[in-house]
Amino acid sequence: MNTTECPECGGEVIMAANVIVGEIIECSDCGVELEITSLSPLSIELAPEVEEDWGE
Amino acid sequence: MIIVKVGGSEGIDYDAVCDDIAQLVSAGQRLILVHGGSSLTNEVSEALGHPPQFITSPSGYTSRLTDKRTLEIFQMVYCGQMNKGIVERLQMRGVNAIGLSGMDGRLWQGKRKKAIKAIENGRTRVIRDNYTGTVDEVNCGLLETLLDAGYVPVLTPPAISLEGEGINVDGDRASAATAAALKASDLLILSNIPGVLSNFPDESSLVRTINLSDIDDASENFAEGRMRIKLLGAKEAIEAGVQRVVIGDARGANPISRALAGEGTVIS
Repeated sequence: MNTTECPECGGEVIMAANVIVGEIIECSDCGVELEITSLSPLSIELAPEVEEDWGE
Repeated sequence: MIIVKVGGSEGIDYDAVCDDIAQLVSAGQRLILVHGGSSLTNEVSEALGHPPQFITSPSGYTSRLTDKRTLEIFQMVYCGQMNKGIVERLQMRGVNAIGLSGMDGRLWQGKRKKAIKAIENGRTRVIRDNYTGTVDEVNCGLLETLLDAGYVPVLTPPAISLEGEGINVDGDRASAATAAALKASDLLILSNIPGVLSNFPDESSLVRTINLSDIDDASENFAEGRMRIKLLGAKEAIEAGVQRVVIGDARGANPISRALAGEGTVIS
């Protein structure tokens, strides 16, 4: 298990040990979507607002 | 004016499609053809050692992961072999076809989606190296100039981003955008099934008509995979003023004439 601080609400974000870069997780305190931007060191940012992909 | 989209799936008889186009054009029908190329792109991708990858969005839509190398292969197939193969067939039948991609003359312009979400092994992740988008603007002036001069445009993805990058776009929705922009009377979306099937893949379960007000229910209740995108394209076209969309079968003789006669799923 890894933990870090939510950039939105400051709450504790707990994540599985095998998370990957680019993975989206949710802050259990405020519910905001977060993106894992690096593993070493562990860092997270607010996930981008994205649309569905409907390419060919 | 009619817009005809023919998919790139296996089983599509492009000779029959072009025979039908030649007949319709000689009878005075104003027409634009849009084509796909997904099956051949998969084959060529494998042959070039860059096998296709498909991603699923959180809502369940599947699409091709289009990194830069995939876009290059996409362009080789769609703009090259597929597009010129159709232009050649039409020219041999006396139709003055001109093949263009959405990039050419900014025929189809839209925003590149710089970040998208995909589900992989139960996890959601952000993908950034992806060259996909949607068509926001159609260059009607260029298309009308070509049509008025007697050419039959044969169009293909990719489209072009605001920054000038090639972007993979859904051909059915690009066709819908084109039909709407040019105020076409009919949009025909032809592939390798008879139409919308209520019990896919049972071809006897063809749904013959869908009203605009029922499209969302149809999409939720019995459309799968790319058919949901076709229904979305149909809805967008009709809401923008296209009178009728027919989702029909490109296999066999006279596929376009049969669709114009209402064979398939008629949406209005």
